[in-house]
Amino acid sequence: MKDQLSALIDGEFDVENAEHLIRSVKSGGELQKCWQHYQLIGDVMRNEMVLSQNFSARVMSALGDEPTVLAPAPSVEQKLARTSFFKINQFWSVAASVAAVMFVAVMVLQQQLTSSESSAPIEIAQSMPLEYLEAHHAAAPNGAAYYIQNVSLSGAGQ
Amino acid sequence: MFKSLSAILITAFGLAGFSQTSLANQDAWLALQKAAFAARELNYQGIFVYQNGNQVRSVQITHMNTAGQELTRNMILDNQSVAGKPKSKQPREVFSQGSDIVIFNPKNDKVIIEKRHGQNLFPAMLPVNLQSLKMSYTARINVLDYVAGRQAQIIELIPKDAYRYSYKIWTDTEFGLLVKMTLQNEKNETLEQITFQELSMLNSHDLNWFQPSIDLSKKYEMEDVALLNRVHTNWIVAELPPGYIKVDHIEYMTNGKTTPVNQMIFSDGIASVSLFIEPIVKGKRPKVGHHLIGSTHICANMVEGYQVMVVGEVPLATVQQIAKAVSFKKQTASAR
Repeated sequence: MKDQLSALIDGEFDVENAEHLIRSVKSGGELQKCWQHYQLIGDVMRNEMVLSQNFSARVMSALGDEPTVLAPAPSVEQKLARTSFFKINQFWSVAASVAAVMFVAVMVLQQQLTSSESSAPIEIAQSMPLEYLEAHHAAAPNGAAYYIQNVSLSGAGQ
Repeated sequence: MFKSLSAILITAFGLAGFSQTSLANQDAWLALQKAAFAARELNYQGIFVYQNGNQVRSVQITHMNTAGQELTRNMILDNQSVAGKPKSKQPREVFSQGSDIVIFNPKNDKVIIEKRHGQNLFPAMLPVNLQSLKMSYTARINVLDYVAGRQAQIIELIPKDAYRYSYKIWTDTEFGLLVKMTLQNEKNETLEQITFQELSMLNSHDLNWFQPSIDLSKKYEMEDVALLNRVHTNWIVAELPPGYIKVDHIEYMTNGKTTPVNQMIFSDGIASVSLFIEPIVKGKRPKVGHHLIGSTHICANMVEGYQVMVVGEVPLATVQQIAKAVSFKKQTASAR
């Protein structure tokens, strides 16, 4: 069933026959979690992952909070000997992890920038919107193509 | 004196030549006019085959005109059955009464009932009023042929410009009924063909056939009715290709979309084009460019944050021009 769900999300499963999937997703439980996970994975893979807008602000404020606690005591040299080695170490490890977070954040933000560029148009041939064909044939005054509308749709789905 | 005489003679010959061709034209238009009426007024039954690209469908049609009321039943006979695989037992049935169409569409363990409005279904594909066709096409009588064992006259509709394809129309020489039609592109390749394989006239006025074959083991459901409005929005199409006029404009919600889709339909009398306009949703990549599926051209464009889609069984130039001509009417313009 999970395989079918995955196929459905990828558009490789006949929607007409997917009622049992949709029903069980709606009813909650494991399949609903699966659905959410698959959607999330799909979003990430398509670069549609959206970071909250104040993400960098939150990182900065977190950084602002941290150093006061973590700054090594500059006072007496002797004190450095034992105690602050650990502290210095701790400082660097925290700084490193903050830097790592920043690095990732910058990467993601850059990706987001490029992805907003890549929500720039795509060629229609790459992803043919068949729903328009169906709507056209259902409403156009000369409905010759009407007789095959469902065939061409299910034909594309199979 | 001699000069003026020859001038008169030349004019006379010219007129004779002209009136001869226009007479032939008139005959062709008369035959088409007769076909338009015959399809609506006669009582007939038959099987026709529709072909578009590699798609083929057989349809059984029964048509009656009783007391000025047109009744039709179309049963779609084959569901593209693969050899060895049984055909789906219950065919799709399309009933029409006047311009109201009701479709019984079997889907798995259900039958979905769909309602549609006013299509010129085969063989009533020609409009009763041919005026719009005369603007865009010339009609020419071609040779005689046989369709479904009946003698038929071929009439060609030749486009006057590059914004439409050409049609060949076979009309029954006895009853005038349209019995076959093909659509050709500019390279004279046949894109669509619809033709009777069997045809007989009905003498009875029995209406027992005008009811769906009910399968009691199935659940009958009305189709999810999309909210449908006839609208007057601010969208304007500045320059339609010549001969095309807007015949309809609807607005509807589709599954999974939060914003309505506007659909306008343009026709030159026989060819038709749909224009779809909807807001570009964040996170969904808008589409551009064009594509050909079977005989249908589709052209996508972006206009002021809206996705524009133009679809029709017409040349690429036609869908492209309509896609380019879409714009949003500004408030100042509408105030004028």
